[in-house]
Formats: sequence, structure tokens, C-alpha cells
Amino acid sequence: MTNVEKPKIALFLCGCSTNISNLIDLDAIAEWARKREDIDIIEVHSLLCSPDGKEFFKQEIARNKPENVIIAACSPHQHEVTFQDLAAEAGLNIGHIQMVNIREHCAWVTPDKVKATEKAKSLINAAMMRAELAEDIEKQTMIANTDVLIIGGGIAGIEASLIASKAGRKVFIVERDISLGGEIIKTEEIAPNMACAPCLLAPRLSEVRDDPNITVITNAVVTEVLGFLGNFTVKIHKKARYVDDSCIGCDACFEVCPVTVPSEFNLELSTRNAIYTLFPGAVPAMAVIDKDICKHFIDDSCNACIGACPFGSINFDEKDEEIVAEVGAIVIATGFETGDPSVIEEMGYRKIENVYTIREFERLTCSNGPTGSKIKLKNGEEPTSIAVIHCADSLRENGIPYCSGTCCIRAAKVGELARKQIPDVRVINIHNDLVFTGPAANDFYRKQLDGGTEFVKTDHTSIKIYERNDKIAIEGAGILLEVDMVVLSTGVKPAKGTEALAEMLNIDIGKNGFFQSDHELLHATCASVDCIYIAGSAAGPCDVAESVTRAQATVGDAISKLVPGREIELEMMTTVIDEDKCGGCKLCITVCPFKAIEYDAEENISKVIEAICRGCGTCAATCPSGAAKAKYFTDKQIFAEIGGLLNV
Amino acid sequence: MAKPKVAFYWCASCGGCEEAVVDLAENILDVVAAVDIILWPVALDFKYKDIKAMEEGSIAVSFINGAIRTEEQKKMAKLLRKKSGLVVAFGSCASLGGIPALANLTSKKKIFKRSYLKSPTVVNPDGIIPKTKSVIDGYELTLPEFYKTVYKLADVIDVDYYLPGCPPTPELIANAVNAILEGKLPPKGAILSPDKSLCNSCDRNESKPEDVEISEIKRVIDIELDPEKCFLAQGIICMGPATRDGCGASCINGNMPCTGCFGPTDSCKDQGAKMIGTLGAILEGEEEEAIDKVIEGAVDPAGTFYRYGLAASMLGSARKEEEDE
Amino acid sequence: MSDFNPKIVAFVCNWCSYAGADKAGALKLNYPANVKLIRVMCSGRVDPQFVMDAYREGADGVMILGCHPGDCHYRTGNVKALKRYKLLKKTLSQFGINDKRLKLDWVAAGEAALFQKVVNDMAETVKELGPLHITGYVEQGGK
Repeated sequence: MTNVEKPKIALFLCGCSTNISNLIDLDAIAEWARKREDIDIIEVHSLLCSPDGKEFFKQEIARNKPENVIIAACSPHQHEVTFQDLAAEAGLNIGHIQMVNIREHCAWVTPDKVKATEKAKSLINAAMMRAELAEDIEKQTMIANTDVLIIGGGIAGIEASLIASKAGRKVFIVERDISLGGEIIKTEEIAPNMACAPCLLAPRLSEVRDDPNITVITNAVVTEVLGFLGNFTVKIHKKARYVDDSCIGCDACFEVCPVTVPSEFNLELSTRNAIYTLFPGAVPAMAVIDKDICKHFIDDSCNACIGACPFGSINFDEKDEEIVAEVGAIVIATGFETGDPSVIEEMGYRKIENVYTIREFERLTCSNGPTGSKIKLKNGEEPTSIAVIHCADSLRENGIPYCSGTCCIRAAKVGELARKQIPDVRVINIHNDLVFTGPAANDFYRKQLDGGTEFVKTDHTSIKIYERNDKIAIEGAGILLEVDMVVLSTGVKPAKGTEALAEMLNIDIGKNGFFQSDHELLHATCASVDCIYIAGSAAGPCDVAESVTRAQATVGDAISKLVPGREIELEMMTTVIDEDKCGGCKLCITVCPFKAIEYDAEENISKVIEAICRGCGTCAATCPSGAAKAKYFTDKQIFAEIGGLLNV
Repeated sequence: MAKPKVAFYWCASCGGCEEAVVDLAENILDVVAAVDIILWPVALDFKYKDIKAMEEGSIAVSFINGAIRTEEQKKMAKLLRKKSGLVVAFGSCASLGGIPALANLTSKKKIFKRSYLKSPTVVNPDGIIPKTKSVIDGYELTLPEFYKTVYKLADVIDVDYYLPGCPPTPELIANAVNAILEGKLPPKGAILSPDKSLCNSCDRNESKPEDVEISEIKRVIDIELDPEKCFLAQGIICMGPATRDGCGASCINGNMPCTGCFGPTDSCKDQGAKMIGTLGAILEGEEEEAIDKVIEGAVDPAGTFYRYGLAASMLGSARKEEEDE
Repeated sequence: MSDFNPKIVAFVCNWCSYAGADKAGALKLNYPANVKLIRVMCSGRVDPQFVMDAYREGADGVMILGCHPGDCHYRTGNVKALKRYKLLKKTLSQFGINDKRLKLDWVAAGEAALFQKVVNDMAETVKELGPLHITGYVEQGGK
């Protein structure tokens, strides 16, 4: 009965208890199959996925050594892996196993038993045709680098670096600014429980500084990323500081520096020198010289800092540095940018004195801020009334179109902070919608109501702010009031450079401009490329707790995927390009959603990087010379399946 | 030893393939010296009965160009098959149906109506349409049957080799003739041209970006064509990616896009469908409306993607035996 | 033509539509036995040659079912399928094949009822069109 020219095929028919056997005449199918010359082994089993059935399946394969196995049973989504594993244990390559879905796609949707039986035959026939063209599919593994690169040194990046280091991984943190801390370091109290941000951050910063596994690269940007999961090569451009690491960040040189410019750290509410640190106790501690404004660099007219420095730390000859890091995973923790209310003309921002953003107001309340934590008007007096405008730039066509979800609680903090200093101050929060999610945030809102903050609802797009009688007037639908100070609550935007970084990493950006998760629910912290992760608000607006949680999640995934000494398993059903057939037309490269194909100009062919390929087969459908072959779903197999389905 | 006998025959074709033979230039003399041409209607006078009288297999090789449109062409093809050791489908029409097979997009009835009744240059007051048999003044006149479908040569006889091209290049012809004379032939059924796409040898491939997306399909009459840049990168449909190499990129060197006369590579069953799969995937647009707008630019997809390949296409070659038999 | 049961081949993507069909099965949502599914990993894998081949092998209608736009497991494979489909439909019309014989639709893993509806609608549409008869040339009017 064995046909020597055709592969030996075994057909297993599963009754699925009575789920299939009651609805399809399996005996008739077995009889039909026995008449065929191309099936050698036919077995009917009442429940192939039962312990007994599995054992039977495995033994039959081990004993008969068929070249191809067809299992007519339930959906492959149910048990494909089960039978693949069993067959592999019995020595059969998984490329030679096919499941035919005679349950979900046949028995359960075809009430007429005769018709269902006929349909099952055609489905099995298609698998038979396909089986004749089956090819081995090899398991692919790869040695991976297990180290981690973190882009962004805010709270999320810091958290991620510490966890990765604790797992024994080498970590690189690349920070654009001159020291770590990010956005959170600019505030002191975090709602709802007014947690002390510096207290949260300071010990972590020291930990990072002292951790031999962590390399902190500040004043630096990532310029190129090559490679793929487990094998990234990252180029980093580190700008010269002109101050070496003997500097402890004392302020001896600041006093003698003749140049002052608005301080970015204090949101231009105070000044800094050409040589500066962001704040005392920054990590790293050393100062930096702003080359663009330093008189030494402009006209060689000043060397005052050299004389003032007790440690001889100034080095005008320092050069920019190119650093190359080899890592297995990349965590993006680039944070966010606060919205700019000057895009909404009616808000009067930067035109009217004493109109601040919430970020600026927070700086005013910080001990290392421009006023030494005093809430003051420009004339030095304390305000008697403060209006807080919610959605100053949000939920508007010309501003931020979405609700950031994190600004209301920050805006409600104004009353809490102001009353601490000025108990009688009147605080009015003017809002359209109010978003306080969760019990703690809601309690905080109640507390502000009880404390005296007035919440007034109006259409936020109707608000106009202008000067009147030495005060600031706020006019909106149904409201008109005068206050001393206005705080504009702004939304959260993607960090500057998000698009460029996305392009460099070949990952997606979502519709609001933040990095796009691979899956919103299941892989919320994974970017669309394997082993690239999104921590903190780089993935979208979030509070500190969520930012840190996301950071922990990213590293959790990375370190579970990349384990020292363990090779990583790659997608098996990838697409390969036959180099003898490839014409090098490069069109597969255009269509590949994962940039998993590269062009070899020397050989004039395109090659699949199998570590990146996820096996969608879009290139195979595109390849105009038929050189790209999607494993397990080859053109030949699908043509055979079509013929088999339609011509039983 | 007698020289091998060679036949050249033409069916539904334009004569370009015959020109290609003449284009062998002085090399043709070597061919003539090496073989004995026993049939070549375009150049020499031979009679049907002489061929019929030959022994089976006595012709070493018959080069047949043109598609099969009429009963006569099929009869001659069958006769030559019987008398020949090898039959080579010569050129795009014999291999794939070629330009004549574009007629498969319409019907015999419509073609006759247009040609004999409606064409502005036709004067036919009695509305006479050719018939296989007509009796005039007591005499029976016959014409070969005009089939409903245009066939490629392999649809009517067994073909040993294919020489693609509209027409095949002199180089490919010379190589084929030499291979036959020297007995160094590839396995039966082979297409005697490299099995890679034209992009592989096209000088412009280098200028094609790795993300060639087409935002607007243009026709060659729409823009001034860049003489260096890949046509796809200019928004011009070039069939090169879906077309077999071997032509020397002569159209492209003349600053015209490939129209696909060499047919697909061995790994593709249907050149037109393959090109739809390729081009469709590189068109710009995410939303339906934008996509529709780009596709509007493909004014004649069947005529563009199947310019030569209709008789060899999956649908064009399906279930047709029963039609004319 | 009332006893004509059109043969329909549906190429379904593994992640959404195949799973949608599984769910239809689990809920016992019937559809004609002549609708038969071919699993591909992504609707972007569907080569127009497969569609042509299905007609040639006797299908009266062909479907391509994938994930909804934005939900593609492989980012944009479904959009590529959509573009090919539109170009293919235009070509089929020239071949004299009524372009209603080709249908692309999006069915998510949970959309069992939608799966049943789209295949039943297709079966109904093709039933009205009658059997596909490919002749190698375009018939009057086309079927």
C-alpha cells in the first residue's frame, strides 16, 4: 500500500468526544481515505488531546515514522502547538504536521451531516495536497547580548536602570540634559499625597551614580541604532563638558563667570552662568560650560573659571566623544514635553505679567527655585487671588487635541501649595471637564474643595484673559472675575525628538505622537520592534506611579527574554529569499513592515534578517520573481491547498 | 553527414520575430552553413505537401513564432510537431500569447463586428462576415476557422523550449541555435533566458530607493522621463520586476519602461497577477479614498500587466480546451 | 439557479479572521458548507495569483478576510491586501469576471456574528450571479 514516490502520510481523525463524531461521519471519511493511495495510516480516535490520545498519537508516529501527519480535529489555535510538540518528541519535524479544522470550521457550522462530511473530506484533501510539498522547518536560536540601553534619565529611565542592574545586566543611560532627573526633579510635591519628589529621587540618583553596572552618559544623544533584538549597536554622541570628573559641583566658578543667561531649569524665571549645574547635588555632580555663550570660546577673553576652580577641573580642550554601546534591548524613557499655552492667544501667556504655566508655578514653590520657594507676584508681593485655568491648551483643535488625564490633579495642587504659604489666598479652578481617576485622586479633589478651592465650570474654549485695573481679568461663558495671578494648566505632549528617534529605531508612533505600543493591552510597554521598550510617558501621558511601573515592566520583559547563557528562540515560520532567484529589485524591502530585509548591493540581492522577520509573508506576496518563500505557507503549498479544496 | 533540418514558421504574429532572425546579421550565414532550412515562409518558398511528405521526426528543430488564432495555424503547428525532433516556441506570442492574445479580453463576435462592419475604413454594404464555408457562383470557398480564443503554442502542441521576447534578441537566438547544434540543451520545457527578473541586470536598479512608494501612477505621456532613474521611482509602471531577464534592457535603454514581453520567471505562475501583488503593495495610501485615487491612475490594468501574457495567464488559459474542440 | 451552491474560497488571516471563524464555530453560527477557508498568517500574504488560481480551480467567489485597519498583527499587511484587492478587482472586471465575485472584508477575532454575516452575504451575492464560467475570453457582458 505504501507508495514509494509519495511521502508516507498518516491521517488522524479525532472525534473530539462527540463534538465532531456526532456531526461528521468519521467512519465514512476513514473509508474514503483508505481507498486513496496517498494515505498510508488512518487512525480514528475519540479524543486525541486526552492523555491517552496524546500517548497514542506519539506512539503511532514513533512506530510508523510517517513523513507527514494530518490531524483532522479542532482549530489549530486550540491544539496545533500540542501536536507539534508531541510529534517533535516522536521525531517528526513540525513542518510536516498539519491540522485540519473539521470542528470550528466544519462540524459546528454545518448542520447537515452529509454536507459536513463532504466538506471535511475536501479540507482533508487540501491538507493532503499540501503535505506532499511539506518542507522541514528548523528551530532557530541566536546568542543575544543581555545588556540594556536606556534613552532618557528621568524617573522612568532611572528606575529601569536600577532594576536591570540588579538583574546583573550592564546598563547605559543616555541623557540629553547635563544631569539626570528629567521632569520630576523640577517639582517638589506630587499629588495626591504630596510626596516629596527630591526625597524619592535623591537616593535613586546616588544609587545610579555608585552602581558599577550602570554607565551614565549625559549631555549626549543617540545618533544611530543598528541591528535587532539581542544585537543592537548604538552610536552615542556625547558633547564635551569642558569640565572633567574631578569637579564636585561646588559653585566657586559660577560666581566669577561674567556671563548670565536665562536658566532653562528654572524655566527662564532666573538666570544661570555660562558654567553651571542644573541644581546642587545633581548626578553627575560636575558642571558644564555652555560653549555657545562662554567668552573663552567666543573671543578668548575670559579664563576666570580656571582661576576660581579649586580642583583644576576646567579643560577647554575636551572634545566631543562618539561612544558605541552593544546591547540586547533598548528602553525608551524620553518622557514628555509640557504643552505651550502661547499657542492659544486668548490665554495671554508671555504677554501678561503674572500669567504662569503650572510648571512655572511649581518652580516658584520649590526650594531650589527662582524665588526660593516663595509664591510671589512680579512686584514681589504675595497674590491674594489665583485663578487656575484647566485645559489651557488642551482639548482644542489648535492646541493639544486630547485629554492628557494627568493635568487636573496637578492643577488642583495649586490651592494646596498656595494656602500653605498664603492661608487667605483665594484659588479658583476654572474648568470644563474634570478628570480625577481613582479613589486617591478623588479624595484629593474633595480635600481641595474642603480647603477652599473654588471649582467653576465653563466652556474652556470661551475663556479670554486680559489686563484690567492692575489685575488680570478672566472672561468666559457665564464668568467674569479678576485675580492677581493666573496659572495655566497645560497638557502633556510627546517629547521633542520623538519622531526622529522613532525613525532611527524603526518603530511606530501612535496617532497622538507618542511611541506606539505593540499591543495596547497585552504589550503596552513594548514598542513595535522586538526588544525595544517604552517606559514612562514616552508611551503617553501618565503619572509618576505609572511611569515607574511601566519602567519596571519594560525591564521585566527584557530580562526575561534576554538571559545570559541562553540563546533566544526566533520565529520559525519566517520568510526566506532564494538568492538564486532574487533579482534584487528591493520591492520586498519597501513592503516589509519590520524592516527585516536588507539589500546586498555587492551580490545584488535582498536578504531576510530572520531574527527580525515575523513571518507575515507580505514580501512573499509581493516578490515579483517568486524568490521570497514564506515557510509553511509557500506559494506551492497554498496552490496545492486551493486545488485540493475545490477538487476532491 | 547531412546537415540538420530546421523549419521556421509563423502563426498569429507581426513578423517581428522573423526580423529578429534576420537581425542575426552575418551570424545568420553561420547558421545557414550549419543547417538546412526546409521551411521559412517569410523568406523562401516551400510547399505544405513537401513538409507533409517528410518522415516523422526528420526536422531537427522547428522554430514557431506567433500565437494560435486560426485552425490553419493549429494544423501547421501539429504538422511541424509531428515532423520535428524539437519544437521551440519562438517569441512572446508563441510562448505566452503575446499582443494577439489581448484579443481574449473581447470576443470573436465583437472583433468581427468591429473589423468587418463598424471600422470606419470598411465598406461592406451587404454586411458580409467571413465564414469557414461560403458558396459563391456554385463554388465552395473555405477559410480556416477563427477560434474564439487566442492560444499560446503549448496549448495546441507539445513544446520543448521557449525563446521569450518580442522579439527574442539575436544573442538569445544564437545561443539557442548553438545549444541545439552542440546538443547542450537544458531540461525540456526550459525557457532559454536567465531565470531572474529584469531588475537584476537593469542599470537603473541602483537608483531605485529601498522604499519606493508610488503616490501617483503616471503614464509615459504624462511626464518628461528621467533617463537615469528607475521608472517605478518616477511613478511609471515598469514590468521589469515581474519580467524575466535576458532582453538586455533594450526598452529601458531607449528610456521606455519594460512592458513585460519576456514573461514571468519560473517561480511565478501568472505574470499579471504577480505584478498586481507587487504594485498594489507599493502604492501609497492608507485610507480607501486615497487608495482609490492612486488606483485611478492604473487606467488599463489587464492591458498593462498582461500585455503579453494573457494566453498564459491563470484565467486566460483556464477551461478553454472544451471551447474550440 | 436556486439549487446552485456557489463554491467560495476565503483566505483568512491567522490572527483575526481565522479566530473569528473559530468563534463562529464555537457559537454554532451556520454558513454554507461550500464556503471553505484557507489560513494564511496575514491578509498581506494573499498573492493575487492565489485568487486567480481559486477561480481557475472552480471557485465561484473568493474572499480575503483580515484584521481591521490598525489592528494588523503585522502592522500594515492588511492595508497592502486592500490595495492589491482594489487593483485586482479592476483587473477582474476587464477579464469579464464580475468584481462582486471578489470580496475583502475585516473580521476581528471576536466578531463571530460578523464573520457569519460576511460569508453568508457573499454566498448570497455569488448565488445571484450564478456559476463562474471561465472561457479564456471575455463573454458578452461578462459573468
